Amino acid sequence: MIKKIILILMFTSVIFAADATVEIVKKIDSLPKIAIQDASDSSVNLNFRKRFYKIIAGDLRVSAHFRVLDEYLKSSFDGSAQENFLSKKSVDLILRFKITLQNDYVIAIVKLINASSGEVKNETNYKIQNKKRYPFLAHRIVVAINDLIGAPSIKWMEQFVIFSKYTGAKQSEIVVSDYTLSFQKTIVKGGLNIFPVWANSAQNAFYYSSYNGYVPTLYKVDLTNGSREKIISSKGMLVCSDVSADGKKLLLTMAPNDQTDIYLYDLAYKQLEKITKYSGIDVNGNFVDNDKKIIFVSDRLGYPNIFSKNLDSSSGVEQMVYRGKNNNSVSAIGNYIVYSSREKTSEFGRKVFNLYLISTKTDYVRQLTANGRNLYPRFANDKETIMFIKQYKNQSSLGIIRLNANKSYLFPLKVGKIQSIDW
Amino acid sequence: MKKLVLVSMGVAVLLFTGCSQKNPDVDMTNKNQKMQKTDNNTAGNGGMNTNNMDSNSMSGNAMANNSENTVKYLIANLESKLSPIYFDFNKYNVRADMQPVVEKSATMLDADKAQKLSIKVEGNADEWGTDEYNYALGLKRAKTVKDELSAQGVSTDRMMIVSYGESNPVCTEHNKACWSKNRRVDFELLP
Repeated sequence: MIKKIILILMFTSVIFAADATVEIVKKIDSLPKIAIQDASDSSVNLNFRKRFYKIIAGDLRVSAHFRVLDEYLKSSFDGSAQENFLSKKSVDLILRFKITLQNDYVIAIVKLINASSGEVKNETNYKIQNKKRYPFLAHRIVVAINDLIGAPSIKWMEQFVIFSKYTGAKQSEIVVSDYTLSFQKTIVKGGLNIFPVWANSAQNAFYYSSYNGYVPTLYKVDLTNGSREKIISSKGMLVCSDVSADGKKLLLTMAPNDQTDIYLYDLAYKQLEKITKYSGIDVNGNFVDNDKKIIFVSDRLGYPNIFSKNLDSSSGVEQMVYRGKNNNSVSAIGNYIVYSSREKTSEFGRKVFNLYLISTKTDYVRQLTANGRNLYPRFANDKETIMFIKQYKNQSSLGIIRLNANKSYLFPLKVGKIQSIDW
Repeated sequence: MKKLVLVSMGVAVLLFTGCSQKNPDVDMTNKNQKMQKTDNNTAGNGGMNTNNMDSNSMSGNAMANNSENTVKYLIANLESKLSPIYFDFNKYNVRADMQPVVEKSATMLDADKAQKLSIKVEGNADEWGTDEYNYALGLKRAKTVKDELSAQGVSTDRMMIVSYGESNPVCTEHNKACWSKNRRVDFELLP
């Protein structure tokens, strides 16, 4: 059975890898159905166990590689015949966890059981320090279970999200969280601190813009020792839009002469190079094509749209998007570009912002959202997952789009409005 | 001020030291392997407070004498008379109906008594669109107003521009009237 599931998933992943701009709905019946059983002792707080279950169930759903039995089940850890065989509920797999709390640690012992044969396919122990960080423990378990069945990696679930949220006029906070916002830790507060971006793939340092001094200033914060280093200042505005893959160069939007343009900043040599020279608005630079090229937003046609430019300053600018009259935010990975576009009208109401996916190699345009204001898209490392900010009515949420499954999920922020995100 | 900055940085280091290993590093071992303690992180509840961390912060200057009080009064008086300049959606040109407001502002800011003051021209945007673009849009609005003031005699040496994007709304309701109030340029006067 497991082999069959692996074959099906491998086959589907090969199909979907072909072109993400083509909308394909995965056949839901081909996915393994999984049940989750809680085998924790009654001494562990039931609410905590149920929160843990919810995150595991949510992760399994968001992976889009499982059908999840929507039922909180208790069991013994060794399991009776009744607990180990759930074929009557058409369940293929059982994820059984047993949580214990020891000192400052949360420990989870997890079994993956074949629900048809009752065979334990795998048993693994996991632990994490600090009870508040249990969402990362749940994410790690689901990533491992997903790997065990041979499905395409969902390691992006373990990525840290860093975001800024407005809390009042000229007031914002920078927060580190997991992708579901179940874990949140405020790391910068006081004044206007915006546009945080990770400084490297290890996610142990980040850049952000402070608007609390005489001029906007870009800082780098090293999370391993708490040090804060001033990188550069600029009159008018200053945003670090992207960091090169090797972490050595930054794309900045700044206005040292009252004019917003995109600059390339070499951190080692502290050299600043002006990349765009248009008299209007150029913002939101993103490295593409092995960091040899950028895509960015410009109003050089009289409205915000997406353009590209080689980092060789002698080259011209190429228009990348030929639809929409207000395309104001962009992110890219490989050949794929995702951008936010304002619609004049839609069946869901006026003035919505939708996300669209295009490929530089085909003419397809795929609409990814349908209502609300969907902004600030950011690809995960795996090219199949996009994170974005959704403003719908008065709610600010973090959104996840799973391209191959054609599904999106929202994780609302309880307080504040999300300003920008990176992961 | 320098002492305050150092104290603030000290607090920040202390807080970050508390989470010296930000990554939770979930420890994963097989059934028969001994679990290894790899995660020494102790995520604190605090965070870095950047208030007063910028060494060149403009705030916090105590008014110590009558001369300073006079300047303070002058600033308050002028700022109360200056009106915001409003803009159309996604535009940064000064509307015809806003031209008299710009001219009146230029007259006040170029008056003899205002000559000793610096002018911070602050651009703002409504909540529509992505914030990075909105910061650029706010800056273009501020630049347009600065250029208009300059054309009417206000010295560019006295003016600086900054954008606050959508971070500084004067109206937080979600309707057209409110959004139009937030697409604006404000003035802040500095000694």
